[in-house]
Amino acid sequence: MHYKWWGLIFVLPAVGFFAAFNLFPMLFGLYLSFTDYDLLNPPIWVGLDNFVNLWDDRLFRQALGNTLVFVAGATVPVWGLSLLAALVFDQAFRARDWLKAAFFLPVLPPIAVVAVLWRVLLHPNGVITSLTGGWWGVTEIRWLADTALAPFSMIAVHDWAMIPFFMMIWLAGLAAIPPEFREAAAIDGAGPVRTFWHVDLPQLRSTAVLVAALSSIGAFQTFALQYVLPNDAGGPANSTMVLALLVLKYGFQYFRMGDAAAISVVMFAMIMLVTLGQLWFNRRA
Amino acid sequence: MRNHPIRLLIALTLAVIFAFPIWFMVSSAFKAEAEIQAIPMHLLPWDFQGLAQFRLAADIAPVWVYFANSWLYAITHVVITVFFGALAGFGFAKYRFPGRSLLFLAVLSTIMVPFQVLVVPLFIEMKALGWENSYAGLLVPGMMNAFGVFMMRQYAADLPDELLEAARIDGAPELRIFLQIALPLLLPALASLAIIVFIWAWGAFLWPLVIVQDKGLNVLSVGLASYTQPYLGQPMWGAAMAASTIATIPIAVLFVFFQRYFVKGLTAAAVKG
Repeated sequence: MHYKWWGLIFVLPAVGFFAAFNLFPMLFGLYLSFTDYDLLNPPIWVGLDNFVNLWDDRLFRQALGNTLVFVAGATVPVWGLSLLAALVFDQAFRARDWLKAAFFLPVLPPIAVVAVLWRVLLHPNGVITSLTGGWWGVTEIRWLADTALAPFSMIAVHDWAMIPFFMMIWLAGLAAIPPEFREAAAIDGAGPVRTFWHVDLPQLRSTAVLVAALSSIGAFQTFALQYVLPNDAGGPANSTMVLALLVLKYGFQYFRMGDAAAISVVMFAMIMLVTLGQLWFNRRA
Repeated sequence: MRNHPIRLLIALTLAVIFAFPIWFMVSSAFKAEAEIQAIPMHLLPWDFQGLAQFRLAADIAPVWVYFANSWLYAITHVVITVFFGALAGFGFAKYRFPGRSLLFLAVLSTIMVPFQVLVVPLFIEMKALGWENSYAGLLVPGMMNAFGVFMMRQYAADLPDELLEAARIDGAPELRIFLQIALPLLLPALASLAIIVFIWAWGAFLWPLVIVQDKGLNVLSVGLASYTQPYLGQPMWGAAMAASTIATIPIAVLFVFFQRYFVKGLTAAAVKG
C-alpha cells in the first residue's frame, strides 16, 4: 500500500465524527425546517410554510428585533472600547501588567457565572444601583424587571465580559505593526493622534473587520445571559427574548421542531451574511 | 507619553470597573448572607464566614457532582480534540490522497455553523440513538472540534518534509512517524489548542442544558442556575457566589500558570477560526 493512503486513515476518525454529529444534523435540520414535526408523529412536509408563518409570528418578530438591538449594542461599543483599552495597554508604563491583568479578569468566568454574578449585582436595591443611582438619591432601579431597561442590562453585562477579550485581539493586531512605522512617524514629527490615524489604523484594517465580525456573530447567538439573568427566561414580558432562546422555547417547550429548525436556518443565514461581509471587506483591503 | 497621567488614569479606571464584579464575587463567597447586599458595599467581609458558604452551596445542590461532571466533560473534549485533531491535521497537511480537498472542505464547513443551529436536529438524533439524558449524549456530540483539525493542519504543514521522509526511509511505520516525530514537534501548538478547548468545554451551557434532565448528570454551568432561585424562601446569594467562584477557579489557574499559551490559544482561535 502506498503511504499516501495512511493520510486518509488519519483523517477518517475526524471526518466520520463530523459527518455523524455536524454534517448530518445540519442537513437534517434543514429538512426539518420544511416540515411539521412534534417528536411523536412522523414529520409532515409543508414546504416553505414554516418560514411564511414566522413572518406573521409576533413573538418571532419581537425576538428578531431584540436580537438585532442586542447585536448593535454588542458590537459598536465593544469595538470602540476594546480598541481604546488596547491602545492604553499597548505601551509599557508603571504598573501596566497589573492593571492589564485586572482589566482582563472578566474573560475568566464562564458565561453562566457571568449571568449568576450579575443577577446578584443588579439586584434592584443592590450594589450597582447604589454605585449609579445612589449619587442622585435613587435607591431602587429595576435593572432586570423593567421591560425598557432589561435589554440594555443584557447588553451592558455582555459588553463587560467581551471588551477585555477583544482588547486581546486588538493587541495582537497592534503587535504585528512593524515598530519602524511608528519610529518613522515620530521622526516626521507626528503626534500620537496622527500616528494612530495614519500609521496604526490602516495597518489594523483586518483586525478591525475581525473584531466587528466576531462580536456580531457571537451576539447573534446570544442565549445564556437572557436565559439566566431575568426571573423568567427571555423576560420580563419577552423583552429579552432572542432568537436562540426562541429556538429552545419552540423546540423543547412546545415541541414545534419544524418552527424551531426554521428559526435556526434564519439565524444561520444572518451569521452567513456577516461572514460574507467580512470576506468582502477583507478582499477590498 | 508613556507615563502620561491621562494614560494612567484611563488604565486605572478601566481596571477598577472591569475587575470590580470579580472582586465582588470572590469576597461575597466569604461574607455572611446579610452583608452581601449591604450599602455601601463591604469591600472585605466584615463577618468572615470561612468556607461556610461553600458548604451551604454543597447542601443546596450536589455542587461537587456538577464539578466532577464539568471536569469529565472538559477532559474528554480536550483529549479527543487534541489527539484526533492533530492526527487529522497531520493527515491533511502531509499526505496527498484522493479526495483530500473535498474532505477538508467538509470539515471546514462545520466551523461556520454555530451550535445554536444544530441543537434541535442533534437532540432528535440523540433521542433516536437513545442517548438523551446520558453521559454518551452529554459528552460525545461535541467532543471533537473542527477548529482543532483546522489549527493543527496549519502547524503540521510547517513540519520539515525531509524529517518525515528520512524516518520513512528508515522503515518507520506511518503511525510511528506521527506519534514519535510529528506529535512532539507539535507540542506547543497542542498546548494552546488544549487550553482553548478546555475553556470552551468548561463554559459549555446550551448543550448540557438541553440534553440532560437528571441532576446527577448536570455540569457546573447548568447547575449554577439552581442557586438563583430562593432556597426555603431565602435568597442564597452567598452560596451562589461560592459556587460561581468554584466554577471560575480552573480557568483562573490556567490563566495564571499558562498565561502565554492562554492568550496565544484564545487569539489563535479568534483569528484563525
